[in-house]
Amino acid sequence: MQQLNKRMHNTLITIAGLAMLAFSAFAFAGEKPSFAPKVPHPTNGSTECVQPEDEMKKNHMNYILHQRDKTMHDGIRAESKESYSLKKCINCHVPEDTEVRFGDDKHFCSSCHNFTSVSIDCFQCHMDRPMKGKGVKGNNPHGAQTTPAANKTTISSDIADTSKTVLDTKEAGNE
Amino acid sequence: MSNSDVNISRRSFVEKSATAAAALTIAPGMFLHTVAEAKPADQAVNSSVRWGMLIDTAKCASGCTACVSACNTENGITPSNHPDHDNTRTDPQWIRKVTLRDKQTKHEISLPMLCQHCEKPPCVDVCPTGASFKRDDGIVLVDRHICIGCRYCMMACPYKARSFVHETVDNTVDYQPRGKGTVESCTMCVHRVDEGGTPACVEACSEAEHGAMIFGDIKDPESEISKELVKHGGKQIRADLGLNTGVRYRGI
Repeated sequence: MQQLNKRMHNTLITIAGLAMLAFSAFAFAGEKPSFAPKVPHPTNGSTECVQPEDEMKKNHMNYILHQRDKTMHDGIRAESKESYSLKKCINCHVPEDTEVRFGDDKHFCSSCHNFTSVSIDCFQCHMDRPMKGKGVKGNNPHGAQTTPAANKTTISSDIADTSKTVLDTKEAGNE
Repeated sequence: MSNSDVNISRRSFVEKSATAAAALTIAPGMFLHTVAEAKPADQAVNSSVRWGMLIDTAKCASGCTACVSACNTENGITPSNHPDHDNTRTDPQWIRKVTLRDKQTKHEISLPMLCQHCEKPPCVDVCPTGASFKRDDGIVLVDRHICIGCRYCMMACPYKARSFVHETVDNTVDYQPRGKGTVESCTMCVHRVDEGGTPACVEACSEAEHGAMIFGDIKDPESEISKELVKHGGKQIRADLGLNTGVRYRGI
């Protein structure tokens, strides 16, 4: 009796499996089957990424890595065609008013990283969403951080006394 | 190349230089020194500039913490409200107010203490990974991508200017990523400075109408800070260590 039950059980599983296969064959008829997650597209109307999509899928990490050292060590924060940054990715692909955080399948980065089981630690420090009010959508990788002219060291109209020697920082160090 | 070619190019060079010099001078005694200060955004920082600060303790009001709160707001430093224990003594602190009291005269002075951005920073000397570094323009920073959180730099710093991030950070700002397990300190608001701005503390101090802090390029003879230093001087704290600090104080 037990054996008969087991045989029936196996048969049922086989039938169910076949049915699922048949269903999936119908479901994907005409289009390439893909289980990959849908990556959220920019919400600001941009249609073009900084590089072609395929290139970005494969090499986005390299572009960002290169940029981070230039920003940190050389202070190059210029916006140019060649500039890439994590902030730029986030500002474009994550809506400013979102409640979705990194780790959630709906988050731009997590959507793929969860699927591929690649864990990243970027967001232990970096923001996973644009800065409210300051995050500029589009291609400015620095947000709205351009300081108004009022903050700049002012043009001084004092009469410059050029005859005096300036603090020589190197000499001072050897005191 | 013939001799005449050399002469022509030399002449045109001299003419061009003269034009350039004329363009920089607006009126007698008035120079546009932002030209020398603001670096082109697409070029790396260089050692022709050294950023520094001059703090006048006579103008620094005791009890005023405008610089401290401006720094915290600017860089997203908030208390890490841990449910189980009090973190006030370990929370990161980039700038703090210090009160000095003369035992004899009972005279008290108040001053902000922050990373002194030394020319020869001990924190950089001891860093085993190279995370602690000095930029060519004199700003001392921690590269958090390289920092392993060993805290040698914190022990090496004579000014107690560095902090370790003990707790998870969840409220960073996008221009200043911060995270648990790394050491951090005053960046002289490098994100502002790179775009021609002034550090948040200096701005707050002048907004509070104290004007005790001056920020500028100490290698530029025309900058406000250089002129003040020439005129009145500025002391280094622990000058005996020979670190040549970028932050100078007056009235200590």
